[in-house]
Amino acid sequence: MTTVTSIRALNRRNFLKTAAVGLGAASLASRAGPALAAEPISFATWSAAVDTVKSHLAAFEAKTGIKVAYSNSPWAQYRETMITKFIGKAPIDTLWVSDSWLPEWAEAGWIAPVDQYKSLTDNSDVDQFCIDSMTYKGKQYGNTYYSDYMAFIYNAELLEKAGIKAPPETWAEVAAQAKTIKDKGLAQWPVLFSMAQESWLIEFMTAMVYSNGGRFADDKGNAMMQEPAGGAAPALRWLVDAVQKQQILSPSCVETGELAVLKAFSSGEHAFALTPKYRLRTLNDPAQSKIAGNAKIALMPSGEKGSHATVGWMRFYGMTPRAQADATRAADTVKLMDWFGGKADGEYTFQKMLFRDVGSGFGVKSLFSDPEIRAGYASYGDVDLIGKQQSLARKKDVVTPWFGEWNDVNGTAWQQAIMGKVTVEQALNTSAAKWTELKKQS
Amino acid sequence: MTTTVAAAAKPRLGGVPGYDERSAFLLVAPLAVVLMAVAVFPIVYSFYISLFTIKLTRPGRTPFVGLDNYITVLSDPQFWYAVERTAFFAVLCVSAIAVLALLMALLLNEEFPGRRVLSALLLVPWAIPYVANALMWKWIYDSNYGALNGLLYQLDFINSYMVWLGDSDKTLALIANAFVWKEVPLATILLLVGLKTIPADLHAAAKVDGANAVSRFFHVTLPSLKSSFGLVVVYETMMAIRHFDLFFILTEGGPGDASHVVAWRIYVETFRNLSFGTGAAMAYLLALATLALAYVIIRALARKI
Repeated sequence: MTTVTSIRALNRRNFLKTAAVGLGAASLASRAGPALAAEPISFATWSAAVDTVKSHLAAFEAKTGIKVAYSNSPWAQYRETMITKFIGKAPIDTLWVSDSWLPEWAEAGWIAPVDQYKSLTDNSDVDQFCIDSMTYKGKQYGNTYYSDYMAFIYNAELLEKAGIKAPPETWAEVAAQAKTIKDKGLAQWPVLFSMAQESWLIEFMTAMVYSNGGRFADDKGNAMMQEPAGGAAPALRWLVDAVQKQQILSPSCVETGELAVLKAFSSGEHAFALTPKYRLRTLNDPAQSKIAGNAKIALMPSGEKGSHATVGWMRFYGMTPRAQADATRAADTVKLMDWFGGKADGEYTFQKMLFRDVGSGFGVKSLFSDPEIRAGYASYGDVDLIGKQQSLARKKDVVTPWFGEWNDVNGTAWQQAIMGKVTVEQALNTSAAKWTELKKQS
Repeated sequence: MTTTVAAAAKPRLGGVPGYDERSAFLLVAPLAVVLMAVAVFPIVYSFYISLFTIKLTRPGRTPFVGLDNYITVLSDPQFWYAVERTAFFAVLCVSAIAVLALLMALLLNEEFPGRRVLSALLLVPWAIPYVANALMWKWIYDSNYGALNGLLYQLDFINSYMVWLGDSDKTLALIANAFVWKEVPLATILLLVGLKTIPADLHAAAKVDGANAVSRFFHVTLPSLKSSFGLVVVYETMMAIRHFDLFFILTEGGPGDASHVVAWRIYVETFRNLSFGTGAAMAYLLALATLALAYVIIRALARKI
């Protein structure tokens, strides 16, 4: 009996010792530097073109032997998801970043400048507004994923039926042509804009403001949207008049999201719309659109003191301080960013895959001369006009660390003006006051 | 023997717990730990963070501010506008639910062919998840291609498509309609249970006394339903005040600030602006208001029963 007990005790002691040693060894191993370097590169994106990304990743892993842990989350919650991950110190090395979040994330130290990596900052073939969109306080924070701009689209068939020879060149002409179309009973609401509170809203507003020669903020980051000259008033007044006076734009625009505009414009019931340029392909796809072949792009109409300028946006590959903390990891991450954002095997493979698969735009100038891209665009649009409009695109002037918080207030103010609840001046003063308050707090 | 049993059953004050107490404690302990982790700790911790300026986009800057977040929230006119809208929404919803549920319960309390089928159909809205319900109403209300416009147009009630959610004067009422549609079944069941407990003798006696159907409804049925009504009113008031899903999916707080209710503002402050301090303060104020309101309603109804 005594013998059995001692064997049991010995076994228990041995077991506990072994377990303690095992746990200690595992703990030490997990803290060791080389183990971190051996971890796969962590790559986070929002849930877009997932299969295309996976396919290009597989090619990267096969070619370099570098392992990549890929994860994605929905666009609608991406900012909040990533911030929570940053706060929780989740392992992320490279990720997709929207230009709208750059100041916020850079100030918080969640993404790091990439100026020391020459391949990432070779901008000789990159559009200027894209470089501007990836730059904050003089430092570049990544390389291009995709870029696009807000485009003015018209339904050529409807214009022809109304006897209109050429698309409008100014916002005054848009209103006049829309009135003609409405008066002839060809469309109840000839103009179709998305003014719903969603992430696209600021892009629609900025396109209107830029083309009317205005700005939201000056170069020093001070609010100027409320200023009668050079502010946002002409753009907002045009929208208010279109809804309230001329009744060429439905009051439901304040509940109409970007996707709803795409669907509604495809139905052929509208003459003019603002949409992200890449939607042109869907609008001219007979399987998805009743107006296939008749959705055309025109230069953004200009305001009285404006130009054909529009807003461009940029999504890019950012790099985290975690990736830069280890030289091997940093080098591998740069290779991955180059593979996606730069050239892979001497070609802009991923940009072309995205263009082919979903019609996405790009910030690479030379691609406008690429035969495959030109042939792709030619099937649904005027490639030279598309390129010309891109050259007139500018980054959003509201991108600041307080952009997210201000954006809600500004969107609400514009909607209230469009609904006739407040005047244009009141709306812009509210927007400017919030901007100034947040700027002081930052 | 009797003495021994009595002594064993006597609770021991300040002594070593007996086998029964220890067993009871051990059996309850896992649930108590879970409750502490998932209910008590978040409540206490959210109050704790409401005393700090916590903005996720400014990591490392989280000063203790005491009750400043509460003062900031209570002195913000936009918060009070949201309170007004929340109150309007809650009153509209609870009134409509109470009336419709009562009518449905009275109907289902009668014997008629197809009553069971109707009872089963009534549960359908209740069985639909809130998000699915919201998406369904979004399609119905859409001003460009919605089913409501389509129906009204085909029936010649309208000459052209109407703006629904985009009209700030209609927005809250339309969201309330979607909420009522979802909540009426549960309220009906609660009232139906109350109706079933009314003794048939009461109605029989009232009939003997010459009371007609209307008199019997107001003097027998309605007073007997007070406790069920109390439950419905308290529960639906709490649901309406805290409701978020429909506002998120149907309007995202818009158009303008037409559907900026308190729950929406808490979401924006916490999860869009990532200001967890003021967000937690708002959430606490909403919880306290809900609690106080429920207490007042229960007291008022208890006094009358």
